Amino acid sequence: MAVQLDEAAVRATPPAPPDGPPSPAPRRSRGAGRLPWLLLAPALGATVLLLGWPMVKNGMLSFQNLNARQLILHLTEWTGFDNYGDALGSEHFWRVTVRSVLFTTVNVVLIMLAGTLTGLLLARLGRRMRLLLSVGLVLTWAMPIIAATTVYQWLFAQRFGVVNWLLDHLGWHSMADYNWTGSQFSTFFVVTVLIVWQSVPFVALSLYAATTTIPKELYEAAALDGAGAWKAFVSVTYPFIKPFLFATTFLEVIWVFKAFPQIYAIGQGGPDRLTETLPIYAFVEGIGNQHFGMGAAISLLTILILLALMSYYFRLVLRQERDES
Amino acid sequence: MKRSLLGRLWPNATALVLFVCFAFPVYWMFATAFKPTGDIITEDPVWFPTDVTLEHFGTAVRADHFWTLVRNSLTVTLLAVGLSLLIALFAAFAIARTRFRGRRSVILVFMIAQMAPWEVMVIAIYMLVRDAEMLNSLVPLTLFYMVMVLPLTVLTLRNYIAAVPRELEESAMVDGCSRTGAFVKVIFPLLAPGLMATSLFGFITAWNEFPMVLILNKDAEAQTLPVWLYQFQTAFGDDWGATMAAASLFALPILVLFLFLQRKAVGGLTAGAVKG
Amino acid sequence: MKRGLKAAAGVAALLMGAAACGSGGDDGKTAGADGFKGETLTLWAMDGSTPPGWTKEVKREFEQKTGAKLKLEVQQWNGIQQKITTALSESDPPDVIEIGNTQTPAYAMTGGLAELGDLKKEIGADWNESINASSVIEGKQYAVPWYVASRVVVYNKEIWAEAGLKGTPKTRDAFFEALGAIEKKTDAEPIYMPGQNWYFFDGLTLGQGADLVKKKGDTWVSNLADPKVGDAMEIYKKYADFSDAPKDKDEATPQQAEVFAKGKTGAMIGMGWEAATAIEANPEIEKHIGYFTIPGETAEKPEGVFLGGSNLAVAAGSEKQELAKEFLRIALSDKHEGTLAEEGGVIPNKDALQERLEGNPAAQAAAPAASTSGGTTPLIPEWAAVENPPNPIKTYMTAYLKGASHQEAAAQVEDELNKRLAQKQ
Repeated sequence: MAVQLDEAAVRATPPAPPDGPPSPAPRRSRGAGRLPWLLLAPALGATVLLLGWPMVKNGMLSFQNLNARQLILHLTEWTGFDNYGDALGSEHFWRVTVRSVLFTTVNVVLIMLAGTLTGLLLARLGRRMRLLLSVGLVLTWAMPIIAATTVYQWLFAQRFGVVNWLLDHLGWHSMADYNWTGSQFSTFFVVTVLIVWQSVPFVALSLYAATTTIPKELYEAAALDGAGAWKAFVSVTYPFIKPFLFATTFLEVIWVFKAFPQIYAIGQGGPDRLTETLPIYAFVEGIGNQHFGMGAAISLLTILILLALMSYYFRLVLRQERDES
Repeated sequence: MKRSLLGRLWPNATALVLFVCFAFPVYWMFATAFKPTGDIITEDPVWFPTDVTLEHFGTAVRADHFWTLVRNSLTVTLLAVGLSLLIALFAAFAIARTRFRGRRSVILVFMIAQMAPWEVMVIAIYMLVRDAEMLNSLVPLTLFYMVMVLPLTVLTLRNYIAAVPRELEESAMVDGCSRTGAFVKVIFPLLAPGLMATSLFGFITAWNEFPMVLILNKDAEAQTLPVWLYQFQTAFGDDWGATMAAASLFALPILVLFLFLQRKAVGGLTAGAVKG
Repeated sequence: MKRGLKAAAGVAALLMGAAACGSGGDDGKTAGADGFKGETLTLWAMDGSTPPGWTKEVKREFEQKTGAKLKLEVQQWNGIQQKITTALSESDPPDVIEIGNTQTPAYAMTGGLAELGDLKKEIGADWNESINASSVIEGKQYAVPWYVASRVVVYNKEIWAEAGLKGTPKTRDAFFEALGAIEKKTDAEPIYMPGQNWYFFDGLTLGQGADLVKKKGDTWVSNLADPKVGDAMEIYKKYADFSDAPKDKDEATPQQAEVFAKGKTGAMIGMGWEAATAIEANPEIEKHIGYFTIPGETAEKPEGVFLGGSNLAVAAGSEKQELAKEFLRIALSDKHEGTLAEEGGVIPNKDALQERLEGNPAAQAAAPAASTSGGTTPLIPEWAAVENPPNPIKTYMTAYLKGASHQEAAAQVEDELNKRLAQKQ
């Protein structure tokens, strides 16, 4: 039972999408022709209808002057590229863009480092400790984002929050009544701790699963060659987990870049709009301030920026798909 | 290969520290929910609830329409995940097992769909749903949540399908199974862990969704639990006991599902066959 | 047999209904009682606006008179603008909506609110003009005034006694002296004043006669740099200096009433209902709570106060215009408006009804300032955008309290303020 749970934690991990464990290339198929498209029809149809259509609608809104008045009276006022001009011409937009990229980079680096180290630690642990740590990771992983965000607000609460109490008792007395959402840096600190905390379990458990597929003989061979722990890692473990790390990194980039409830709930993008990332910015401008056309334009720019960030990854994945087929 | 005492100690010590770091927020949520207010608002934290009370849960559950919202959340989430698994399975099979022109474009479509920033598209979605006269209904919610979880479901299941050795499928077909039969009898059982994993992911996503339901369904009886948790928080302000009780109730189904599904996932795994 | 019983019951119900209507029966007829049978009127009211006694009475009278049902849906403040805007665009909007007085001009300009000029003529002859001002935009009546409330000083008598203070201050300077005494003689926080209690600050600007916006050509622009605004901020800082509250938070995070409830705070500037919140959090505090009008420069004129309040509006898209007006006639009648004042402790829309505040010390403390030195934020449609978070004036306040000069702090946010004032409607 004990082992079961442990294994379970690992098995439920979706393997890294594109490069995962060596997958047999799809061979020439017998049923080719219409069959694949028939099978794809429901999924593609739903995506085009329920995602593609809103995206097109969103695109159309981005060329309109759409505020409360126009929304209420069902008016359509085309304004050409005005919204884009205003957004791209504002210093604020570019500051938010740079901030989003930095925020994503810092978080993803931290997540991948902590996740990888935790995963490797799992592989080294004895059975009982591994079970314990896995349980902790699974609990974290299973926490719904909104619940987790609420809990973090409580942990970091200015009065009676347990973090401030701890810092105070560790001798850092100025932190006794510290207001975490008072400055840009401290707000980002809380958000980053929250996001890293939420993301590490996925990386760690998946990575541990990947290491279990490494044949023991390889390590034995390395040991015979006189390789130390580091050398064994570089020559045996790393090549095995590299594709996994690569794919996961990009998944995390998407996830962190899009992170919305965590930032919004902790500080609403404040203080002074200093913790707005692109999705928050689009939301505050579009929905908070009721400039829906402007919000739509920013959201489209957000998608374009994310696509640009991911283009390298797409190219690699597509090349690999071609090699396979 | 005997390691030194220190060598054995530090991984365990690190693991213990990590365990505390990861589990504490979850523990603290439940602990706070069960503590009387006097033990929550204290200069020194009460680490273990000695004086257990259900008062906060009472406050949380007494909110208007609570049980309706529970039912709505469950309906929408389960339907969305179920539908998405079904259609994702077809699509994943097509991508993993057949070769056709445009395959790469299809993969690209799902990858881009995975990046869709839904939160900022809510106004566009709202206008479409409003003009279709479908506000305050669970149907659009279900459909949108389905599409929200669809891309990752397709991309993940496709890996699981690809990992099933083709020989297994072929030998089944040699044994006289049709292609469909081979799929149902051979591949499907091997996919169980993949299905569990993706449904888990889908469940979390749909269970958590919030900006869309907030704008589409203003009718209090057509809303879902995240709205309740959010409004609860604003209505009760600093009442951390009640807020944590609400968060606990909200998190509980996911925590239970996680433990339950993972055991199932192991049960459905014919480990040898997959490892090949 | 069974059928007979049912019929009898029906007749009895009819008779009882008629009896219950009593003297009001005639009104019911003129309003076309039967015309509304089977309809449901939806009312959106904000959390805390509808005390139970008022709700029950209004509902009973409305349902009796019209035969229609009243469906009250209580709304939370968070995200309410988005909710009202989208609701007004729908084919089946809520019929009657409570709208904050400062937000009324913006909604009026969206075309989402029905014009109520005839109702004003019919029942609004003696509405208090300054309270009604927010409902009138470009000469047209787009809502009806429901109630206002203003801030008072809520103080802890025990702490004041400990500091040796007797009576309550009548001038601002006397108030500061009292706070100084608390600081010296007790270990309590003299007053809880976070950096962003913006509506209190708005009151101070009204007291200084400062305008937050000015007209420049056709558009409204920021007038924040005006030295008079700086004077108001200087007064604010004197209050804030007596407090340990965060400089970058408003009075709702944490709820100042909850802080006050702990009994370690000498005073707070808040709404009457905040005292109730404090009592709920700590019933012990009730016997120590007292109220007084925020003192001004001189004893004759109290400090300027922001009149926060609500109007009731009818959605232009509602198909039940007549029923909605009938509801407003009932809800705003002297009887129910008086009950609202009495039960809710809010200032009613007619001066004559202020006698109903008797026995409510908080509202009584509020009334003098409300009638002599009350005002609002600028009543222009463009203003609503200014208060969207993050409110640049709050940013200005925090910057000032953290050491920037008035001119520096104002310069820091004026661009944002002007941008918001210039936004297309």
